[in-house]
Amino acid sequence: MKITAPLLFSVSLSILPFSGIAQDELEKALATQTSPEKVSATFKSPKLINIQTSETIHRHELDFRVDHRFGDIAGHNGGMSNFFGLDQSTDIRIGFDYGISDRLTAGLARAKGAGPATQLYEGSLKFRLTEQSNDDGMPFSTTLFGSATASAMRASEDVTAATAYRKFADRLSYVAQAVLARKFTPAFSFEVVPTYVHRNFTAYNDENDLFALAVGGRLKVSKRMALVADYTVPFRTKSSKDYIEAVNGAAFYHVLGAGLEIETGGHVFHLNFTNATAIQESQFIPETTSTWTKGQFRWGFSIARRFSFHRKDAKQQE
Amino acid sequence: MRTTILSLLLLSSLHAYPQFLVSKTATISFFSSTPVEDIAAVSKTGSSAINPKTGDILFKVNNTSFRFEKKMMQEHFNENYMESDRYPTSEFRGKITDPVDYSKAGTYQVTVKGTLNVHGVTKSYQVPATLTVNGTQISAACTFNVSVADHKIKIPSLVIKNIAEVMQVKVSATYQKN
Repeated sequence: MKITAPLLFSVSLSILPFSGIAQDELEKALATQTSPEKVSATFKSPKLINIQTSETIHRHELDFRVDHRFGDIAGHNGGMSNFFGLDQSTDIRIGFDYGISDRLTAGLARAKGAGPATQLYEGSLKFRLTEQSNDDGMPFSTTLFGSATASAMRASEDVTAATAYRKFADRLSYVAQAVLARKFTPAFSFEVVPTYVHRNFTAYNDENDLFALAVGGRLKVSKRMALVADYTVPFRTKSSKDYIEAVNGAAFYHVLGAGLEIETGGHVFHLNFTNATAIQESQFIPETTSTWTKGQFRWGFSIARRFSFHRKDAKQQE
Repeated sequence: MRTTILSLLLLSSLHAYPQFLVSKTATISFFSSTPVEDIAAVSKTGSSAINPKTGDILFKVNNTSFRFEKKMMQEHFNENYMESDRYPTSEFRGKITDPVDYSKAGTYQVTVKGTLNVHGVTKSYQVPATLTVNGTQISAACTFNVSVADHKIKIPSLVIKNIAEVMQVKVSATYQKN
């Protein structure tokens, strides 16, 4: 017995390192340079709170999304009398986005509209130009977004109004955006969105062309929950801004949205707060006249559900 | 001159590794079946190596290389279940415990013993596998079941009816002499 114990010990000593070395050698035999991969899921949803993200809808998938914004929580129009805004809805949007390919998404939406223009119909296209790669060969993703929105409301009789439409083209406004996004860590993504808004028809002395810059970020706090926030700055010329603010008796404000994103496998929920009353880019970017500091922020939510339309026989080919 | 090159080649071959069997196109798939839905994913870029002398065997696959029919599932797989950012690869390290004559054509039923590392959690396995030697071509195939809970992969209650608790994993590889 006394002999076997040291013997076993020495045998195991000689075998153990050996097997370790053997596995290392196998590992060496497999060693190859790995090709760079695209970084996936920079964001979880095609939209943060107010602004677009770099995400498109996968091929043959449909994203059905309902956005809702309630009335002012506090301030002059908020408080208990309208149950902190829950008695009102400033804007409601129902949208469908379909992945024509992994890179190209086409969308159709109907929104109530929260600016002078209401009864909005939107068509949009979103195209992934570049995708961030995990070796930083491409350090960020670029996605282009374009939309056209038409108002179906009755034209105003007041010729100075923003809705004094004379012909169909007057009812249209366009948005063009380039979303530059980077997933800095598995938990944190950030994006910068240069934006151009063109409104074919505006109120007297308002600007038809407007540039804006938006930034947004997402911070994952658990596997299925993330904090999201975005901030949008429209660039108006001072003379036009002063004039419109005087006529409206209301100032223009930057737009801040902050909220919680919950993903449940198929559904994405957003619970958010924002001072923007409108949901459509063509409205909340140029026309936000409500501000956080006067209690004019609101509770909002969005619910998105993803559907897959893959051919059934694809399964059998596998 | 010729002889020098030849002898150099000879020398270098003597100093090379023992001749390993290597596959860079190993197919690794898993299948989840529930009354609600079937989910299948496959990676064709797994890699594997066998040391024919010792029977040591290694399988390795990048978790992001699994392809799903539905891209959204693929995203969920990497983001929520495998956490591919933290655990980029899954691997099996083990030994073929039965003798195989790699120079003799035939089909060998063998037992493979080793550890599977998925989602950063290691578990021991002993599974039957088939090795086929056909001239210089050697291939291996194996099917076994992996319990999701064994590797600390949590399935939220909301989708518990859609995802099976036990996945059927299929592995196959055709090797070249290295």
